[in-house]
Amino acid sequence: MTTQTNHHPSQDLLKTFSEGQLSTGMSIAISAHLDYCSSCRQSVEVYESELASEWVATDPGADGPQLSESNILMDRITSQPQVVPITQATRPRRPVELHMHERSVRLPGVLSRVAEKGVVWKKLAGGINTAKLTLDRDAQCDFMYMKPGSQAPRHTHRGLEVTLVLDGTFEDELGEYRPGDFVLRESTQVHTPRSDEGCLCYSVLDSPLLFTSGWSRLLNPFQRLLFNRQLRHSH
Amino acid sequence: MQAAWITDFFADRVIHLDETAVVKDMHQLSASYDRFRMSAKDLAHGGDRVQERQTRATVVKQVAMERDDESLLIAVGNSQDREAFNVLFHRFGSKIFALGMKITRNEQLANDLVQEAMLIIWQKAPLYDLDKGSAQTWIFTLVRNRCFDILRKLKRQPDGISADDIYAETELELSVDPEQQQAAEIQLEQIQQYFGQLPAPQQQVIEYVFMRDLTHQEAAQQLNIPLGTLKSRLRLALSKLRDFIGVEQ
Ligand SMILES: [Zn+2]
Repeated sequence: MTTQTNHHPSQDLLKTFSEGQLSTGMSIAISAHLDYCSSCRQSVEVYESELASEWVATDPGADGPQLSESNILMDRITSQPQVVPITQATRPRRPVELHMHERSVRLPGVLSRVAEKGVVWKKLAGGINTAKLTLDRDAQCDFMYMKPGSQAPRHTHRGLEVTLVLDGTFEDELGEYRPGDFVLRESTQVHTPRSDEGCLCYSVLDSPLLFTSGWSRLLNPFQRLLFNRQLRHSH
Repeated sequence: MQAAWITDFFADRVIHLDETAVVKDMHQLSASYDRFRMSAKDLAHGGDRVQERQTRATVVKQVAMERDDESLLIAVGNSQDREAFNVLFHRFGSKIFALGMKITRNEQLANDLVQEAMLIIWQKAPLYDLDKGSAQTWIFTLVRNRCFDILRKLKRQPDGISADDIYAETELELSVDPEQQQAAEIQLEQIQQYFGQLPAPQQQVIEYVFMRDLTHQEAAQQLNIPLGTLKSRLRLALSKLRDFIGVEQ
């Protein structure tokens, strides 16, 4: 499935991803986007080779490693068996499917890994279900499933929110999003996502949602409590 | 202290070689030793034994030093070429260390990184080929992945995901399986058949959104109709198509 995606990570994000400097949650969102998007894959390849050249061209200076141990080290390393290419190629890479009420969705590579051991869905208000993923202590990562006709409360966040569409579509004040789309919202952008046909997403949030309207504002302290508790558990 | 630590490092990485692998290794070793002697003989033309040995070693080293990263890495992968590996270590070791220092700001961790990375280069060298781009990029991504994992460990992040999962090569795993594809093609044929029976404005909307792959907004702009009109036409067209197919089945 070569999906035409319209919403991509910025070049800055792709470069930082190539450096290995993004959080795990964010890196996973970008990795999953790359499964849909050949142009971002190309960008990452270019960044990787640029970064590699820069790295090799830099003079490490005086504080290199002590190579005195290198003979012992070499012997130890070269006495280890090497990987047999065939075992890698034939390693089964079954994509994992996620089952919601009326649909099953085949997940991109990295998310297959994430969901391999199963996920636990939890109902929220407004026809929205989430499955929390323990991947990253610095960011909240979930699968989010919006039932057909559902709408999230109008909200904003303290940090960045990234939503990667996996199946179906959703829309908000700024556009409509399809599978593979990488949607980034900054803390200043208030938005109300909704979905007519239903939508499965992977979402990353580096701080709890701050709801800005109506009764849902009451949810805030509660949400924050849950999030903090989750943080403490993972310590 | 350091030596003990190295022993620890390898203790949990010892993999028992089976006999055939050892025999194969021995063959490889004696073959490369023969090559070593031959080239030394050709180039050294006698002399006393000590001098000959020195010349020999220098020649082998120089030959290896002049090879590019790619051919060294391929030699390591294809024939467990230790001399080639040694040259790679000398080219990249200090650079890996510098990168480790930059990322972790910790000498011990940077040292770990060098050893881990070199071990992985050795182990994975058989997977490298020129299609994967330059050797330095291949080594860079490998080192980057180890850095990522080291940082995760440092921050005590939950297990279960590693850099190799995140930076895995995409094999277009989202491709549709053949059975599904076939079913989709049959359905597509049916849809095309009924598509002609839709009123022209509805056909147009379907064409812009599905065949030209435009967003609703873009399609509405290009067709010069309000977004609401486009959406209602689309909804109507889709429900008609669904009805057609439903009747057929
Ligand atoms: Zn993209």
